[in-house]
Amino acid sequence: MTGLAHTPLHAEHIRLGGKMVPFAGFDMPVQYPDGALKEYTAVREGAAGLFDISHMGQVRVTGPQALDFLQYVTSNDVSKLVDGQVQYSALLNEAGTFIDDITTYRIADNKYYLCINAANRHKDVAHLQTCASDFDVAVLDESDDTTLLALQGAAAQKLLQPLCNVDLEAVGYYRFAECRLGDAQAIVSRTGYTGEDGFELYLPNAAASVIWNALLAAGAVPIGLAARDMLRTEMGYALYGHEISDAVTPVEAKLMWITKLDKGDFLGRDAVVARKAEGAKQVLIALKLSERGIPREHYPVLVDGEVSGEVTSGMHSPMAGGVALAYVKPEHAAQGELAVEIRGKAVAALRATTPFVRSNVRK
Amino acid sequence: MTIPADLKYTKEHEWVRIEGDTATFGISDHAQEALGDIVFVELPEIGRELAPGDAFAVVESVKAVSDVYAPVGGEIIEVNEALEGEPEKINTDSYGAGWIVRVKINGGSGELLDAEAYATFLKE
Repeated sequence: MTGLAHTPLHAEHIRLGGKMVPFAGFDMPVQYPDGALKEYTAVREGAAGLFDISHMGQVRVTGPQALDFLQYVTSNDVSKLVDGQVQYSALLNEAGTFIDDITTYRIADNKYYLCINAANRHKDVAHLQTCASDFDVAVLDESDDTTLLALQGAAAQKLLQPLCNVDLEAVGYYRFAECRLGDAQAIVSRTGYTGEDGFELYLPNAAASVIWNALLAAGAVPIGLAARDMLRTEMGYALYGHEISDAVTPVEAKLMWITKLDKGDFLGRDAVVARKAEGAKQVLIALKLSERGIPREHYPVLVDGEVSGEVTSGMHSPMAGGVALAYVKPEHAAQGELAVEIRGKAVAALRATTPFVRSNVRK
Repeated sequence: MTIPADLKYTKEHEWVRIEGDTATFGISDHAQEALGDIVFVELPEIGRELAPGDAFAVVESVKAVSDVYAPVGGEIIEVNEALEGEPEKINTDSYGAGWIVRVKINGGSGELLDAEAYATFLKE
């Protein structure tokens, strides 16, 4: 395929028989020959799944004003982080809407590391570099040099430990260690997008195939984008372009928990304060069909027969049935009985809570 | 990939087995493989009259929603209700336990391919 970027593991995906699709400008495996359901099951039911998520971007932020800079450009309170801690956060624009959602890693006092979405990489980096001109800070896009793997599932630690020179048991949830994985210098964080215990591994590209194959040899199951999306949707985790975008603020997206209005001024703060005062324009809710069917993205959500909003992510959960995240009108935020219009028919649904299935992350 | 010689096929990847005045419809092995894991099947009402080319069922995989079209015209006399609980039968046995509906033939037929022509069509 022309025009699509390859991760350093592209040849491995082809060798494994991955079905490749365009995703965020990359040629990525949507599933391997065993299929998305078996991949999903491997992650949920005790094994460990291995995901190539190298399409995601990484940005290193260093300098005397690294903390001040990140306090200004991200929504969460970076001053709360200690060395070796990770924080879910967002980049907001002046209108208070999302440029991206990110994770912030504090390596040391003046050294931070950001993980950003593939589709937003160039936009994020340009934005960060523009903002950086007001601070004594260096912003370095390391995306092209970095391989990012996720190893997720109950067996993740057991499979990873033999390759790693630090005691993973000591790495808590949303904590990370700089360590050696095989011969490579790496960052290993106990983070993920599945609701299972597991790790994300940042590696130099040169080490990608060796670590990938070592984990497969240890019993990890390769997982494509389809199962990854099932796993994250079951947890109710937001995905940029679906639940969050530059059309909504954290008030709509139920992400005020990563938006710390009391930390001092930051980009988008005034707009978020104003939106909070005037009320959300729409509200993100979770719902579960009470009849057969699969609620899919963009299907209308109905209240008393009238369109109130639409599904942003929906799926058939093997454990929970037809589940979805959706935006509805604010007056329906607490609505218990709804419907999703599927091929012209109103299919009954009930308000639900997330996660739709039990989370097994290590708290 | 299997393409049984005793069936006819459409370019939309349905198969039809014609036995006297009844016909059974399903989707081909190629179609189920392309769709991936099938997790939901919406079946039509018994008694519905289908013209050739009418969408009569919906098959949903993890990521895709696909209409299924009638290869020949007829009145639906039986639906495979087992698919409501076990839609994966279409993946595991698309020409057998994964059949979708049976019709009493009345009316015409769309363009049907024999197994050889369908195999050639898939290669194109």
